[in-house]
Amino acid sequence: MSIISFSHVAKKYPGDVVALTDVSMEIGEGELVFLAGPSGAGKSTLLKLIAGIERPSAGLLLVSGQDMRKMNRTTLPYLRRKLGLILQQHRLLNDRSVLQNVMLPLLVSGSTTKEAEQRARVALDRVDLGNKAMLAPQALSGGEQQRVSIARSIVHKPRIILADEPTANLDRASGKLVIDMLQAFNSAGVTCIISTHDERLLQNADRVVQLGQGRVIGMHDAESGVGV
Amino acid sequence: MNWLREHRLALTAALARIRKTPGSFSFNVVVIALALVLPLAGLTLLENLRPISRDLAVEPEISVFLSTEVARDRAQAMAAELRDVAQRAGVPVTLEFIDRDKALATMKSRAGLDDVVGALGSNPLPDAYVLRIGGGEQQASPARIEQLADALQKLQGVETVQLDAAWVKRLAALLDLATTVLALLAATLCGVVLAVVFNTIRLQVFTQHEEIGVARLVGATDAFVSRPFYYLGGLLGLFAGALALLAVGAGLMLMNASVGELAKLYGSSFLLSPLDAGSVAVLLAASGALGVIGAALSVRRALRVAG
Repeated sequence: MSIISFSHVAKKYPGDVVALTDVSMEIGEGELVFLAGPSGAGKSTLLKLIAGIERPSAGLLLVSGQDMRKMNRTTLPYLRRKLGLILQQHRLLNDRSVLQNVMLPLLVSGSTTKEAEQRARVALDRVDLGNKAMLAPQALSGGEQQRVSIARSIVHKPRIILADEPTANLDRASGKLVIDMLQAFNSAGVTCIISTHDERLLQNADRVVQLGQGRVIGMHDAESGVGV
Repeated sequence: MNWLREHRLALTAALARIRKTPGSFSFNVVVIALALVLPLAGLTLLENLRPISRDLAVEPEISVFLSTEVARDRAQAMAAELRDVAQRAGVPVTLEFIDRDKALATMKSRAGLDDVVGALGSNPLPDAYVLRIGGGEQQASPARIEQLADALQKLQGVETVQLDAAWVKRLAALLDLATTVLALLAATLCGVVLAVVFNTIRLQVFTQHEEIGVARLVGATDAFVSRPFYYLGGLLGLFAGALALLAVGAGLMLMNASVGELAKLYGSSFLLSPLDAGSVAVLLAASGALGVIGAALSVRRALRVAG
């Protein structure tokens, strides 16, 4: 059963800059999908469309059954609560502790402070940062900050995790740790869509979607071994 | 309960923002308070003057002073004559006879002129009538009242006729004018308050741009993002209103030393009073509401621009 469905989706930015053209694919619930391709291929745009940060210029995009072109300021936040976003730049709030950063998704969806704190501590333990909960994010290394970002993305038990180049700024060991964590969440049934240009990461994928110049130029399914 | 929790969270966030930049918050409170002081001071003065003007007769009165040579019997008998003249002039009146002895006693007790009057030896005051004009504004037109005064002046035994209400009417008109000017001033300064709050909150939204962006990415609604700013605006207005009221209160205390001295010269114990608790509560609520409105306008616009 597909949780994300692209049907002839296109995205144009102002000034007729084409980011995606005629993208059609289905992503099933619980899948681990890697988006591969060079910089400018359209990977980040595709993730932004799924997260509702950008809107499709044409075509139909359904996320968890909801038409993303019809999303508005009122409905979008509720969809985002089903998503976990891991961004290249981490986007952690430096005037708050690590713990408070991880609590944020729970507080915005109405959890009590106490409940949010308990669950945030569990999430931090899962990324092995339980002992750094009270530190400011600047006090952590790049790899640790990315793990805080992962804790923030999983703390509210999302159905889908979107990770945009999660290993881009990390050394090899930290990058592997991050990918292992995402695979662990995927094993627990969470749909994970990860963009990367690191070919070494692709061996673990259920499916690899190859993008180039805004188009899907190849798709490889690990289970069936079929390449398109 | 969820609603209450969300508001508590927003208030906590607003207070945290104030703690983070206390200097900037205090400065904005002072700026808004300065804008509020003038209309609040004006309102306080008007509220002090209004009871005085209410106590004075706003309906016109005609005082008819009889000649001191008119005997008491004749003076009392003139009531019918006066009523007749008023009827012919088409002005409905009620009459009050004030005999000279009563007038002298009143003068002694009210004006503190006991010694002066005692020095005169005999009562210099005449018997008099006060004609209170009723029947509403249409019947008691100024022209008709003037005619009546002229007619009364021509009666035998009448020394002086005095139309008493003119200055009272002028005072009432002045108070009305002052009220209108004050309302316009208040409206203008409300605009100033809204502008200051609008700009303050706009800068806050700008400062917290990253925080808002992250909150929205993890599913914060516009209401969740906006609420702390509403509280911030409300607190800004509330503190500014309280500061302005304190400043007006302090001003009254300073002025009262001089006002008391002046009033004493007129045999009065008049002092300027601060606004009553009900008015203070309404004004604080109004300044808080202005803060919330300014914040709402600002946040709505900022979020729309942010997309």
